[in-house]
Order: sequence, then structure tokens, then C-alpha cells
Amino acid sequence: MKYTLNAIDEVASQIISCLTSKTILLYGNMGVGKTTLTKALVKALGSDDEVSSPTFSIVNEYETQNDKIYHFDLYRIKDLEEAYSFGIEEYLYSNNWVIIEWPELIESLLPKEVDRLDLELNPDHSRFLKLNFESNLDKQVC
Amino acid sequence: MAEQNIFILGIESSCDDTAASVIHNGKILSNVIANQKIHEEYGGVVPELASRAHQQNIVPVVAQALAKANITKDKLHAVAFTRGPGLMGSLLVGTSFAKSLAYGLNIPLIDVNHMQAHILAHYIEEEGFNKPPFPFLAMTISGGHTQIVRVNSYFDMTVIGETIDDAVGEAFDKSGKILGLGYPAGPEIDKRAKLGNPKAFKFTKPKVDGLNFSFSGLKTAILYFVQNETKKNPRFIEDNLNDICASIQYTIIGILIDKLKTASKQTGIKHIAIGGGVSANSGIRQALKDGEQKFGWTTYVPKFEFTTDNAAMIAIVGYLKYLEGDFSKQTVTASARLKI
Repeated sequence: MKYTLNAIDEVASQIISCLTSKTILLYGNMGVGKTTLTKALVKALGSDDEVSSPTFSIVNEYETQNDKIYHFDLYRIKDLEEAYSFGIEEYLYSNNWVIIEWPELIESLLPKEVDRLDLELNPDHSRFLKLNFESNLDKQVC
Repeated sequence: MAEQNIFILGIESSCDDTAASVIHNGKILSNVIANQKIHEEYGGVVPELASRAHQQNIVPVVAQALAKANITKDKLHAVAFTRGPGLMGSLLVGTSFAKSLAYGLNIPLIDVNHMQAHILAHYIEEEGFNKPPFPFLAMTISGGHTQIVRVNSYFDMTVIGETIDDAVGEAFDKSGKILGLGYPAGPEIDKRAKLGNPKAFKFTKPKVDGLNFSFSGLKTAILYFVQNETKKNPRFIEDNLNDICASIQYTIIGILIDKLKTASKQTGIKHIAIGGGVSANSGIRQALKDGEQKFGWTTYVPKFEFTTDNAAMIAIVGYLKYLEGDFSKQTVTASARLKI
């Protein structure tokens, strides 16, 4: 689907309704809007917490009424070892919501059921979003 | 004063670095940050099963901090540690180590808020550095943080502005990435900015209400700009690197100073203290100096080693809390989302 920034809250709600897991992977280049989309997703999941970039902190935690959201940014992680060293698997298998920006490096650690979102920037500065449900590929219509 | 000679150990492990420091009555005796050499000097003795960097580092770092301070651990009056905010796995290592050490030595345990510590680092006794008088405005600028805090006293402070997306250090680093500079790119941009024209290229400043900051839009604007220009001239970056760096730095500093100006006007406070790794940036230092001339500010920048993530700032807060008898229980837990 194609969206612009002012429709991002609707897009987020739509994504949430299509999810097949609690692990959301965000793929896309720098500046494409991964953190901005995460803001909207966190809001749509029912958290009032302020979402900021976890590039430095690596993971931010937000709270919904009865769940937690872990917001990862693995941009500055150099190898798998580093991800292990802060205990990423404990977050991945915590049964809480997990949103991961720059997940390329840790693909081998991911649970089976994940939802993959690919973001691309269009020349007119709108965004193209592809939802790719690894566990349920025919739900692409979503 | 009942006790004149107070020694406190500070431990910091909130993010990447494991650090330890010993303070004596407000004066830092040692300030150690883990690196490879520490292991060599310690004799290569690291817990074999430790898989996490902090676990490997904490024992040698603390040992070295005590050795450099020339004291033994039985001389310590208290152990202070970073309780949060930070990365949970990292915080847990420092927290459990500090608890065990304080328990073993039967001395008080003191929990410290990392963001308060960045601010209170100004109260470390250091020749040639003045301490800001209360109330003052503190701006913490680093790779992970961008905050303006109104500080009424040591432990009465309120966040009055902060970033709603990227931190300022991240804005520097990611702009650098767009330009093909190494990560982190802040120091390189600063160096090149000195050689370039800050007004060569204009980037729109983000419009954010109140005293909050936003740097995500600027990053995207720089990306579009560079992509567009590179289409016209494939050598655009090489041909204009210093000017681009200067223009980016000028824009970022402008954003910080604009908000400081507003904060100073709103609160009527003219004492302005900065901290965090980005306070090393020569442009921001100059802009603060200019602020002294233009707006009658008095500005405070601590010694560089106390601005990046370090344990000396944890130790000074430990000392200040010790004087107030503000100790933690052994049941205290690390808190990734700890607020000021």
C-alpha cells in the first residue's frame, strides 16, 4: 500500500489488524520512516508512552495497559555476538510485543512467527509499504 | 562535619561502557572506562562463563578504579550505581554487582539516575571549572539524549523539553552516514565544519511546539538534499563536503540554541549548563560563548571526561546523596525507563 505521513495512524491500525504475530520487523533505508511508523504502531497498540529513536539505547520499552512493547533499533549493532551480549533472545521470546528496526543482522535468531514490513520511499516523498506475513503468505491482501 | 574523609565508589553500566570511579569528598581520584587494555593489566583474569561484555569488564574496572585511587575497598563509605535509564541487561550487571559489594562490605548502597548524574557532574570539584548556582538550566546532549532540565536544587529537577524522535548526537551520526563518513561521525563533522561555509546550504529547521526537539525530519531533509544534488553532480559530496558539514552543524546548533533561548526567556534563568558527549562539539561551545555576550548568559561546560557516559558522575551523585543520608535498600531493582 501507498501512504503519506498524514494517514499514518490509519495505516498503523490497519497493520495491527492484519498481524499474525507479536513480532514486527521493519525493513527500509535510513529516513524512510521506520521510527515514525513505530510511533503510530505503538499508539495503535494502546500505549501513551513517548516513542523516540532507540538507535543509541538499542531498545526502548513502552507499556500498554496489560502488555509491554520492546522497540529495537539494531542500526549500530556490528554482529550477532553483540546482540547476544545484551540478551536479545530474552526479549524476542518474552511474549511481549517486539518491533525491530534494522533486523537484518539477527534474522537467524528470530522466532518462526513474525510479520515483516518493507518500507520504501517514493519520488513524491510518499511511502510504499509492503506487508509480508512470513507465516501466512496468502494474507498479502491486507 | 562529623566525617571529613568520605570515599565513594561509583559504577556505571547503562549502555555500552562499563565504568567505575572513586570520589573523595567531591574530588575524583579515579575515573576508569573499560577497554581491552584493562583485561591485560588485570592479568587476563575474566570470568570464563561471562558472555556479556559488562560481566567481563566489571571486576577489572572496579579493581582498577580502586588501584588508581590508591585505596582498598575496605576504605569505601558507600557504593553508588546507575539504576537507570538504560539497557536492562547492562543495568542489571552494575546493579547486582553494586548490591553484592555494598552487602559484602556492609556499607550503604546508593542508586543513581543516569540523567541526573549527567547534570550533577558539574558539581565535581575540578580546578578551573565553576559550579552552576541554583536554579539553572541544564541541557544534556548526547548520542542517546537531548533534554533541557530546570534544576532547582541537587535533587529537585524537572524536564522542560526533550526530543520527540532522534537525539542530537544521532542527528550528527546519521547525517555523517549519509555523507559516507564513519560512525560515529560527530567529531568528523565538527572538524570539517570549521573549514566550511555554514551558510552554503540551508536546511529547514523543524517546527516543534514548546521546548521539545525533533531531529528526524532534518535527517530526512539532508538525505533528500544529498540525493537530489548527487543526481545533478555525482561528485557533489566530495566537492562540497566541508560546506555540507558546516551547514548541517550550523542548523543543528541553531535548533539547540533556539530552544535554550526560549527556555531561558520562559524561566528567567540565565545560568546554562551543558553535558553529554555532544558538549565536546566546538560549534556548540562557541554558540554558548556568543550567548554570554548576546543574552547575558553564564554558561558551564564540564571537563570532557565527565560529559560522556562515565562513572565519575555517578560517584558525585553518590557523594551528594551520602551527605543527605539518602540510601537504597537491597531490594532496589534496575529500571530501564527511569525518569528524572
